[in-house]
Amino acid sequence: MADASRQRAYRSRWFEFLTPVPRGWRLVLGALVWIVFFGLWETAVSRGWVNALLVPSPVDVVATLYELFAERSFLGDVGISIARIVGSFLVACIIAIPLGILMGSFKTVEALFNPFVSAWRYLPAPAFIPILLMWFGTGELPKLALLFLGVIFFLTTLIMDHTSQVRTELIETAMTLGGKRWQILWTVVVPAVLPNVLTSMRQMLAIAWTYLVIAEIIASTTGIGAMMMRARRFLNTDEIMAGILIIGVLGLSFDLLFRWSQRVLFPYLGQEGD
Amino acid sequence: MNRPMNDDMPSAAGPSRDVAEAPKLRLNEVGKSFHLPHGETIEAIANVNFDTRENEVCVLLGPSGCGKSTVLRMVAGLEQPTTGELTLDGEPIVGPGQERGMVFQAYTSFDWLTVQQNVEYGMRLNHVPKQERRERAEHFIELVGLSRFAGTYPRHLSGGMKQRVAIARTLANAPSILLMDEPFGALDAQTRWQMQELMMGIVEAANTTVLVVTHDIEEAIFLADRIEFMSRHPGRVHEEIIPSFKQGRRIGQKEELIGLPGYSDLERHILQLMREQGSDETTP
Repeated sequence: MADASRQRAYRSRWFEFLTPVPRGWRLVLGALVWIVFFGLWETAVSRGWVNALLVPSPVDVVATLYELFAERSFLGDVGISIARIVGSFLVACIIAIPLGILMGSFKTVEALFNPFVSAWRYLPAPAFIPILLMWFGTGELPKLALLFLGVIFFLTTLIMDHTSQVRTELIETAMTLGGKRWQILWTVVVPAVLPNVLTSMRQMLAIAWTYLVIAEIIASTTGIGAMMMRARRFLNTDEIMAGILIIGVLGLSFDLLFRWSQRVLFPYLGQEGD
Repeated sequence: MNRPMNDDMPSAAGPSRDVAEAPKLRLNEVGKSFHLPHGETIEAIANVNFDTRENEVCVLLGPSGCGKSTVLRMVAGLEQPTTGELTLDGEPIVGPGQERGMVFQAYTSFDWLTVQQNVEYGMRLNHVPKQERRERAEHFIELVGLSRFAGTYPRHLSGGMKQRVAIARTLANAPSILLMDEPFGALDAQTRWQMQELMMGIVEAANTTVLVVTHDIEEAIFLADRIEFMSRHPGRVHEEIIPSFKQGRRIGQKEELIGLPGYSDLERHILQLMREQGSDETTP
């Protein structure tokens, strides 16, 4: 009797504030929407609700993706896209990380660069495509430059903000322990801000993917975006969708890679994650 | 000489008059004012004079807003006085330095370093050789009772343990004076008095000069060889108090302290000061 009433009081309810969902249920619920999505899609195609020429079935898309990799050297396009994103992103990071940390650490550096950097943030990078094409032709440079411009100013600002939020007491502690300016920068500010630098990089890499696809669709003969534009000419919607799918998978993989490196590089933070 | 009262030191402070003539830390007519945006100037601290002697625990006590933390930060070199002069061992203080290590109220453990590495950190900055660094860190970690946690990251430590790391880290760096800004203010009541007692043992063992800021009267009486009571508007030393009922001894346990004759009189006296000086009616 007492048991029954206790069970009533503590029965598990589906919609409850501040109550976590068990891990197994999370996976089931997360997969559910995908299953419904693909199910509806497949049904719509097989029942002829939509024009099969414009909307291939999900099974066709997967089959095409396999064919692209196996027979049409799609791997080369994917490789070029990855190389572009990694190359330009690295260059942007090499400049943005030290600059952002210095701007966040020293007010003079901030006063010098911030008016310039923050003004650029309001110029959408794709606006530079025409001029980049005129300057650099149709080679790799305009694509790399677009990605670079799209990433560097936001990344710098994000890192600057994180750096200026490093707790004053940590820096003052190091000062009263006899730390010199550069020692404190290297042994307090940099390690304190590094996890946030990695998070900022993760966020900006997602945006870099957007610019990559824009660049490849507008002005490229290679890469995933270019493949999709080629497919459009021949009404190969299954190839376009395969391209979209692979971009999604790659974006997700890079995100997971960043989360994994966060855990490996900063074990002292624990496994909270987001 | 315009030094504050109480030159009739109790004999416990040592027979030698020379000690009093050559203070460890001296604040001479120290003042600080702030400029407000609309041109007004606020005098936060004015004419602060006091000395701290070698191996003495000196407590800055007073109501909130009396500027005691600002005084401590000026000793640390983290803030500049507008007027007056601060000297340590006769040398003027012109910025932060290893000889004036500070423990803050907020937790300052470096999350990315283990307890051992945290305590070694200051010595690393000052290029102490590796072997000596390790031994000194081990000694001070043991002194604060954290040997079992030497390899642990601060994330796993309680608030009191983090403060013990901060104390060990500062002392291992061999400062000439230890500065503490409400070091136990963020801790719960029980941890607080445990830390006060631990602190007492450490001060005895490490034989160091300490300047502590607190607004906790019991803590002040327990720790202090000398109390500088500050009042507000502007902040200045209102009264120098020697808890002479302790007869120059350091009491290791709080119940023993509270049981001593004279304790409650002093506590009552300071409470009255707090009431007078902390009330906003005294503000002009």
